[in-house]
Amino acid sequence: MRTKIILLLAIVSAALLAWNLQTIFLRLPDELNQGAIYRIIYFHVPANILGMTGFGLGMLFSLVYLVTKNLRYDALAESLTEVALVFASIGLVTGSIWARIIWGVWWAWDVRLTSWLVCWLIFAGYLMLRHAIEEPIQRAKFAAVVSVFGTVDAYISYKSIEWYRNQHPAPVLSIRNGGGMAPGMEAPIWWNLLALTCLAAILVIVRMRQQGIAREIDTLRRTAHSY
Amino acid sequence: MLYGLTAAWLIVVVYVVLLSLRDRKLRKELDRVRRMVETAEKPK
Repeated sequence: MRTKIILLLAIVSAALLAWNLQTIFLRLPDELNQGAIYRIIYFHVPANILGMTGFGLGMLFSLVYLVTKNLRYDALAESLTEVALVFASIGLVTGSIWARIIWGVWWAWDVRLTSWLVCWLIFAGYLMLRHAIEEPIQRAKFAAVVSVFGTVDAYISYKSIEWYRNQHPAPVLSIRNGGGMAPGMEAPIWWNLLALTCLAAILVIVRMRQQGIAREIDTLRRTAHSY
Repeated sequence: MLYGLTAAWLIVVVYVVLLSLRDRKLRKELDRVRRMVETAEKPK
């Protein structure tokens, strides 16, 4: 069943990405001021949305673990956070490439960029912390606390382009009352978000399966030691 | 633009490779521990 879901998600993701790539490269015109480089937004924005959402969901499932004490929720929180970190990395790298061409520098220490980098570092630390603690219950508790801090920072990063005057562009998406994109240019962002969400779901399912194997190994080890 | 697209997919590919390496390692470990338990279960 799980393999069928992965296959279905992979087909949907590949079809959407193929359609979007031809729309982005062949059908959409260059932007008036930025030229061709503006197209990076079609990967930069969905990747960052997935990063922030993944961190938020990871925190939510960590809190569910704290209430229920069911380690499966902790495993789901870790899987979501790890995959979110991959997409946050894509957001940081693509943003940096865009900045180099438009601003002339790879990086600017404004609130948005700095808070997002700090968030990335917090969640990288979260994964390292998990590797460092052997005992599963203690690991889940500490990880939940770090996840809360990281998600607060992710929210600050999300709102920073409204709260502060940044070098980073102000919101452009219509749902954030941005209105900075011409009609027809925004839709591929949402289609790409859907395609990348399917890809992220596949990665989370695979990671969850690995967590299941790791739990089985732990149980078998305990059984072996009891003989 | 192509640099950005390449970088984005490179990150995904590297993660998928790491994921599959981890998968292989876990399955090998599972087989090893299963054999260990089976050996321990056999009556002496």
